[in-house]
Amino acid sequence: MNRPLGLAFFLVALWSLVAPPPGLAAAPEGTLTVAVATFGNERWLPNLYVGAEDVVLKPMYENLLTRDPKTGQLSPLLAERWQMLDGGRTWRFVLRKGVRFHNGDPLTAEDVRATFATVAKEGSANSLAPEFRLIKSMEVENPQTLTVHFDKPSVVFGNKVNQGLFASSAFIQSKRAIEAGDAAERQPVGTGPWKFVEHVRGDRIVYEAVDNHWRATPHFKRLVFLKVPEPATRMAMLRAGSVDVIEIGGEYVEELKKVGVRTLLMPNVSWVYVILGGQWPTKPTYDPKVPWAQPDAERARKVRLALNLAVDKQAIMQRVLGGLGTVVGSWLMYPSDPWATDALKKPYPYDATKAKQLLAEAGYPNGFDVTMNLTAWPGRGYLPDVGEAVATYWEKIGVRVKRRPVDRAIFAADFRARAYSGVTLAFAAPLVAPEPWEVLFRAGYTKAALNLFIEHPKLDEFIDRLAVQPSAAERTRIMRDEFGPWLQEYVPGVAIGAAHAIAGIGPRIGDWPLIPGHMGFHNWEYVTRGR
Amino acid sequence: MGRYLVGRVLQTVLSMLVVVSIVFVLTRLSGSPIHLLLDVSATERDQEILTRHLGLDRSLPVQYGLYVRNVALGDFGNSILTRRPVTEHILERLPATIELGVVAMLLSVLIGVPLGVYSAVYRGRLLDRAARVFAVLGQSMPTFWLGLMLILFFGVVLGVLPAGGRGGLLHLILPAFTLGYFTSAAILRLTRSAMLEVLGSDYIKFARLQGLPEPLVLWKHGLRNALLPVVTFAVLLFVQFLGGAVVTETVFAWPGLGRLILESITTRDYPIVQAGVLVLSALYLAGNLGVDLLYSYLNPRIRHGGA
Repeated sequence: MNRPLGLAFFLVALWSLVAPPPGLAAAPEGTLTVAVATFGNERWLPNLYVGAEDVVLKPMYENLLTRDPKTGQLSPLLAERWQMLDGGRTWRFVLRKGVRFHNGDPLTAEDVRATFATVAKEGSANSLAPEFRLIKSMEVENPQTLTVHFDKPSVVFGNKVNQGLFASSAFIQSKRAIEAGDAAERQPVGTGPWKFVEHVRGDRIVYEAVDNHWRATPHFKRLVFLKVPEPATRMAMLRAGSVDVIEIGGEYVEELKKVGVRTLLMPNVSWVYVILGGQWPTKPTYDPKVPWAQPDAERARKVRLALNLAVDKQAIMQRVLGGLGTVVGSWLMYPSDPWATDALKKPYPYDATKAKQLLAEAGYPNGFDVTMNLTAWPGRGYLPDVGEAVATYWEKIGVRVKRRPVDRAIFAADFRARAYSGVTLAFAAPLVAPEPWEVLFRAGYTKAALNLFIEHPKLDEFIDRLAVQPSAAERTRIMRDEFGPWLQEYVPGVAIGAAHAIAGIGPRIGDWPLIPGHMGFHNWEYVTRGR
Repeated sequence: MGRYLVGRVLQTVLSMLVVVSIVFVLTRLSGSPIHLLLDVSATERDQEILTRHLGLDRSLPVQYGLYVRNVALGDFGNSILTRRPVTEHILERLPATIELGVVAMLLSVLIGVPLGVYSAVYRGRLLDRAARVFAVLGQSMPTFWLGLMLILFFGVVLGVLPAGGRGGLLHLILPAFTLGYFTSAAILRLTRSAMLEVLGSDYIKFARLQGLPEPLVLWKHGLRNALLPVVTFAVLLFVQFLGGAVVTETVFAWPGLGRLILESITTRDYPIVQAGVLVLSALYLAGNLGVDLLYSYLNPRIRHGGA
């Protein structure tokens, strides 16, 4: 054997001794520091957090199911198998064996039952509480199997126990922790790849990697969330290397490009539109004088269409949202959805002349008075600017707009009480459910407890059909061929389109696989270290 | 002196009661925390339960009476958001605020006093003009802007100081300077004018005629007598720092009391807002009282109500 070959053999042999075996990831090391604008309400128990805490809770908790990053279809997480039975009236989940909470307790069906019951309990703040209250009963068949029964079919219940969506708030928690109440709030435990270390309210949340986690052992040893409310400070901290990831709005995209900061695009994460308040004729707060909600349906529709045509959606997308999004004319549909046809994706055109003509036909040749609420929502600081831009366009067709900066706490009360007839508001709905009718189930279904901004017998009829249709293919067909076209024709508000989100990321970050359409940061355990 | 002291303490207690009442009413006029604690999809029943649970279903006078009684007993209640005792939250944040306040105060005194003295001594010369430009800039530059510029220069361009957050001593430099610059400018101006007055007095002329070394004249005989208004001003500014550093704390992501109060206002966490404002006003009033007593001790004409 010649000398170089011998040396090569020696090196290979040496490498085989020191290198980790295939399939075993390198031990976590280093700290991944993230600056976000808000931690939400900073609560940990299932009935105490609302859903806006998604970003900071997701590292530690897991749901029963998740979404496949490539197809968006339901896929296993804590449940290794699940079945929808009896046309959606029954769901059976079989839990993965060997999963443990961070306190060492094994995950059982009792924990899942306790979590679901807590989400649903009276006074719960959890955004999924209305859906979980539809559960009639739950049966623990054995420590690994839970069966959930509903009175009426709940064909998309899998989307409510899903990790792969924003505000996936049915995180499975330990029954023992839930029963501990306040004590669990100080030392929360989950099953996720990161375990709780420290929480200083309003300042930081620190997690540590779980060694040999059943699903994914993180690449970083520590994950630190810092609350940095000021976006300019977040950007400076990223550029200075104090943090590795920052949450940042689309309005900063140009600035980020200028200074050469690397960005990560999260496409189609929220739906931006302008709510036209007052479309609830059966409610006591209905005002028949509101032009877009008046009893004459045809005239009301002309007003709504005019308010759409008056607005240059493309300009708003470019200038207010930094070009991060797609103008779409259909409702609560994303360009990549299987039910979003080309016809549905086509935006309402920008045509101020036609808008003025429609207003005149509807009986408002000199326009009318309207209030535009300018309200910022967490993580969507651009909304008052969208409202301002829309107001400016409306003024060009003779609508007199009174701008009203309103705090979210004030507006939320009006929103719930439907006490905002004649008031308009720019809003961005995060993708909390993959099918648009699921969102409208909360926002526009008279038989639900909510019904926040619109009601219509036809809308009820669609939701009645879709909510009990167990075949996903048939639901897709209904949404594509009937529901979508009806919504587009009805013009419930002013459609702007699907918005993307971005994150600024530093050099210590390598790859970061994200689930498409998932608003907010997630999958921290899969973030690799940069070179 | 005893009667004067009792009078001032009673005035302070009365002022705090007024502050508590104003904060109590104003926080409740600005919307209910229920709407922020619950999702928009929450039912009326959920709202009722939470309202009752938090005691917000009682009439305002009853809530007010209970609050004043509990505060008198030293109980500030629990945070609406976290259900943890408010005292715990305040104590969690107070060290960061005091740390920042103390360092900012030290910086402003260490910058403002010597510059003020030299500015007075070299009146009308280059050093005086430079010091006055420094003072004008310090008092006219918005803290927000200055903070961001300092972050960009020292944190991003030079990379020598952390851009934000709380950590070791290095983390303190930029926020403390941002907060202290404005004050150092004010202290500089005050020291300068006090020194100018003192330097023109007979006893300084006499000290110079006696042939005392100039540094001794300046720093011992001159500054000592000029310092009283400066110390008074500094004490009040320090107390103001404790609550008025909201902008600096926000820009530098500094987890202090000011930011806690601001965030609690946003989330309508009444008990924290009330307790935070109460603590700050108590500190402010105590500072005021301390300064008044100091003055009355040093100047008997004040406690006797004389001119």
